[in-house]
Amino acid sequence: MGLVLWIAPLLAVALSQIAKRARTLHAISICVSLLMLVVAGFCTHAVMTAGQLTYSFLNHLFLIDSLSVIILDIVTAIYFLTCVYAIGYLQNEVRHGKIGEEKLRLYYMLLYIFLFAMVLALTVSNIGILWVAIEATTLASAFLVGFQNNPNSLEAAWKYIIICSVGIAITLVGIIFLHLSSVDVIQSGDALKWNVLLSEAKNLNEPVLRFAFLFIVVGFGTKAGLAPMHTWLPDAHSQAPSPVSALLSGVLLNSAMYAIIRCLTIVNVNIGDSRYTSRILIGFGLLSVVTAAIFILSQKDYKRLLAYSSIEHMGIIALAIGLFTPLSIFAGLLHMMNHSLTKTMLFLSSGNILQKYNAREISKISGLLKVLPVTGPIFLLGLLAISGTPPFSIFGSEVNVFISIFDANHPWLGVMLILLLAVIFAGIAATMFKIFFGDGDTVEMQAGEINLPGAVVMGILLIVIVVTGIYLPDGLKALFIAAQHIILGG
Amino acid sequence: MATVTYLILQIVMVLLFAPLVNGVIGKIKALTQKRTGAPVLQLYYDLYKLMRKTAVVSDVSSWIFRVTPYIVFATALTASLMVPVSVEILPAGNMLSALPGDMILLFYLLALGRFFICLAALDTGSTFGGMGSSREVMISSLIEPSVIVVIFTLGLISKSTSVFSIMASMAHSGTSFVGPVTILLFLAMLIIVIAETSRIPFDDPSTHLELTMVHEAMILEYSGRHLALMEYGAAIKQLLLMTLMVNIFLPFDLLPTTGSGAIVVALSLLIYLAKMLFLALIIALIEVNTVKVRFFSIPNLAALSFILAFLGFMQYFVLGRS
Amino acid sequence: MEHYLDLLSVLMLLTAIMLVSHKRIRSYIRTFRLQAVLIAIIAGFMGMQSLVNEGSFDILVICAIIVALKVVIIPMLLHKTFANVEDVVEKDFYLNIPILILMSCVLVVFSYFTLSGISALNEGHVNLQVVNAFSVILIGFFFMISRKKAIGQIIGYLVMENGIFVTAIFSTHGMPFIVDIGIFIDMITAVLIMGVMVVQINDKFDSININNLRNLRG
Repeated sequence: MGLVLWIAPLLAVALSQIAKRARTLHAISICVSLLMLVVAGFCTHAVMTAGQLTYSFLNHLFLIDSLSVIILDIVTAIYFLTCVYAIGYLQNEVRHGKIGEEKLRLYYMLLYIFLFAMVLALTVSNIGILWVAIEATTLASAFLVGFQNNPNSLEAAWKYIIICSVGIAITLVGIIFLHLSSVDVIQSGDALKWNVLLSEAKNLNEPVLRFAFLFIVVGFGTKAGLAPMHTWLPDAHSQAPSPVSALLSGVLLNSAMYAIIRCLTIVNVNIGDSRYTSRILIGFGLLSVVTAAIFILSQKDYKRLLAYSSIEHMGIIALAIGLFTPLSIFAGLLHMMNHSLTKTMLFLSSGNILQKYNAREISKISGLLKVLPVTGPIFLLGLLAISGTPPFSIFGSEVNVFISIFDANHPWLGVMLILLLAVIFAGIAATMFKIFFGDGDTVEMQAGEINLPGAVVMGILLIVIVVTGIYLPDGLKALFIAAQHIILGG
Repeated sequence: MATVTYLILQIVMVLLFAPLVNGVIGKIKALTQKRTGAPVLQLYYDLYKLMRKTAVVSDVSSWIFRVTPYIVFATALTASLMVPVSVEILPAGNMLSALPGDMILLFYLLALGRFFICLAALDTGSTFGGMGSSREVMISSLIEPSVIVVIFTLGLISKSTSVFSIMASMAHSGTSFVGPVTILLFLAMLIIVIAETSRIPFDDPSTHLELTMVHEAMILEYSGRHLALMEYGAAIKQLLLMTLMVNIFLPFDLLPTTGSGAIVVALSLLIYLAKMLFLALIIALIEVNTVKVRFFSIPNLAALSFILAFLGFMQYFVLGRS
Repeated sequence: MEHYLDLLSVLMLLTAIMLVSHKRIRSYIRTFRLQAVLIAIIAGFMGMQSLVNEGSFDILVICAIIVALKVVIIPMLLHKTFANVEDVVEKDFYLNIPILILMSCVLVVFSYFTLSGISALNEGHVNLQVVNAFSVILIGFFFMISRKKAIGQIIGYLVMENGIFVTAIFSTHGMPFIVDIGIFIDMITAVLIMGVMVVQINDKFDSININNLRNLRG
């Protein structure tokens, strides 16, 4: 049953090749994403009862445990929601003549390949195939980033593919060294499987493993948006069409972080304590937050602002996971989920704003609350949420991160982080003032929502992030704790 | 006694074959370009003709102008004494102290000759001479780092910088030609030899255009026996550099030890001539297939030679640690 | 046998340095092709060795794929893509070529010192082949950042992939087969996509000078 996750997207590619009308394409997309969501739910249930889900197909190539299933759920849920939103968005684009019908087919096919690669990365047990899948996500999304075919999006797509391909190549060097460290210990049939590597972790060659870890963090960190390898992120996420931006920000960054976490566990079990990996991850995380703070203050494009905010939150996640105490890991995982949901909501609403106002600059947006009565307030609440305001979920996970930092006796780190987050809040608040309460150019706009399915989706997301900010259901909490155990290597 | 035989044999071989090398390279070039070209013995005829003509000396020049041809010839001939044409006629053990042939001394004897040519070119006050001098000095200073690294590495491999011991150790040791170190050093040395003998791609030896000349510009003012000596000196220098390359890097001199001394020596000389022909073929093919590069692209070639030599040194350093 | 592998790894390093010293687009593609031939020979040797020792065809199959992809298809693709771009010679560099060559020298020394600290690679003495292969990766990366035209970045990426493949082969006798196949598929797709993008960039920006892509900043 879990293999449906692999087959469904490929089937969808084939089906969209033969579909004739736009409506069929939209229908296929909804069906496939709903199917993936249901199967993911099934897998979650299986993992919650049995701890692991695997089939003996191809020597246990398909293997998921609590950690992968959390991220898998996030992926499929957000994918479903963005597909619903995309129907309205793409219909508007076609109506305004910006995309032809043939391009619609290309869009969906690339999106399915992208989904397939991501799901493959999350469910496979061989780290080599994980690498191949993540590289495939870069390639599949390259044309999605450059979809609008103007000079800016072409530049963004070029930067994206070059920087990410180089980063992924660096990761490959790391994986080669990982393989080297295990060559004496693991027989070739089981090579590079993370479950086998974890069980044999104590016997791996330590210096080679340390070397490998550094390369893996730098490489996958490029894909996850950690500074200083983040330079592709603002361009790619801001120039891509909004549903794609939401997927890139909410889902892809998490997958890259997942890959880092898998290798982190193995290295930490091998070395025994987590100081080496802590230093590396906390260093990159802090640098990302600093970079985001600096650049958010001077942003003129609201989608770019959201992209820098992604960098910031990825930095916080890296920091939390790198700290490697039980509470910080729990907080990091929770933050992954919260960030994905909030950022998706923000990018989808920014898509609506872009379609209505046809302008990317903050200075050109005015009177948002009147012109878009649903999107406007959601965008406002979303900006508050992403900068860490209660009662939204991001506040909850950030507070947990701070508590774990102070608990682990790193007061200076905690203070610095609080200051940086305050700076970021100030930057985002300044933007909010300009958009919602400024005078700006009063252009005559017709008030009214243009994307009805999208509005529903954003409403759902808003409700979810408010609810999870206050109360985490027990089943979910148990799942997170199981994942935390796995990461700690126990 | 062995010393004297060695010296006589060496001088005779060098003087006899130096002009032949030029002729052979020229003939190979002509044949690959499907023309007949000058006869192989052309340089002999030229030298003979030049010796019989009067030398014209400018009266604004000083003693440097008149002395330089002799110095060039003498340094080239002396340096060639240090590079035995055949490994088998290497002098016996006690020779090494009587005729110390250090590679550094070798290169700096040639540098002495070059120094005097550069001065002599400036001496007559002609602008082309000055231009040739400055170019020659720049090329030689760019190529010098790779020369030093090559000498160093060869010295490391054979634990001494004497040409005799380098040749002996390369011939009798296990370092085969296809090792990474020797190939890199061979390529580096090839570029060095092409630079020092002023061949394409560094400088065209058969050009008539003064603005493109380097070596030729410096001997522009010479005539008669002076010019003969300069040309002969340059030919001897070319022969000795090629002999150096051939005997160090292609030490295929594993002759059976049976047979009397004279036959062994004769055979080894034949093998030597064969090796020189091979190297002449390589140089001629390079001359035919590449062009003289723009003067400001010469640092690229020099850097390439340096990195080849340096990599050879590094590979030896890495391998030799075991 | 080890001897010949040493020699081949040095020649591969040489082609990487030659790449840095070239200026014409055709020379880049030709040098890359030469390097791919050398890599195919290395893979062939290791493949024969593994066939004799373990009876597995994996590496030989990969050798065949390399010959098909990197020696034949990719240079052809690149030639076609860049046939319509006007500039044939790069005239403009951040640093001149001799300095670039010296810096690649420094990279070789750097990789030697880095890898000599790892004892798993060195059974007693530093493993020359892995040092050379790792230097090729660094030189490929360096080539990428030192060129101003888009072709430089594509070729740099391909040289990096070459170096990575050879590092894998020398240090662990190859990655698992399926991973290698995946890597090749990814690589050829990446080159195809980059090729298409270069054509589009040439269309929109009228040159393939990367410095013209400066609109998105901050």
